[in-house]
Amino acid sequence: MAFDIDRAYRLHDRVALRPEPFGALAYHYGNRRLNFVRAHDLVTVIESLAQHDTVRSAFASAGIDARRWPAFEKALASLAASDFLVVA
Amino acid sequence: MEPTELADRGPAEPVPNEIETDTELVEEELLVEEISIDGMCGVY
Repeated sequence: MAFDIDRAYRLHDRVALRPEPFGALAYHYGNRRLNFVRAHDLVTVIESLAQHDTVRSAFASAGIDARRWPAFEKALASLAASDFLVVA
Repeated sequence: MEPTELADRGPAEPVPNEIETDTELVEEELLVEEISIDGMCGVY
């Protein structure tokens, strides 16, 4: 399913997010994949996804500049494609 | 022969739109990077 910025997503139950100086490491205990999340504000968005009805709302709430939304959307779509994010 | 307008401009400089586009591309590449640790000894 294509990633939809107007839907609600959350972190997969088997994903651990570990804070790092560059952002965070995300590890999926199910598929054993590892992702480097290289922006602190993207980590903030990921952590807050479960509290929002849409990804768009999470972007706005985190104060992400609208010009960066396409890059953030692409990054989150990549995480969803790897099953790190699931539809809430 | 008269010099052309192009010759008078000097070295080409990127216009602001090009700089912004480059920045966006770099950010897309760096935001998330996935690696697989399958097969690495001692990881699990």
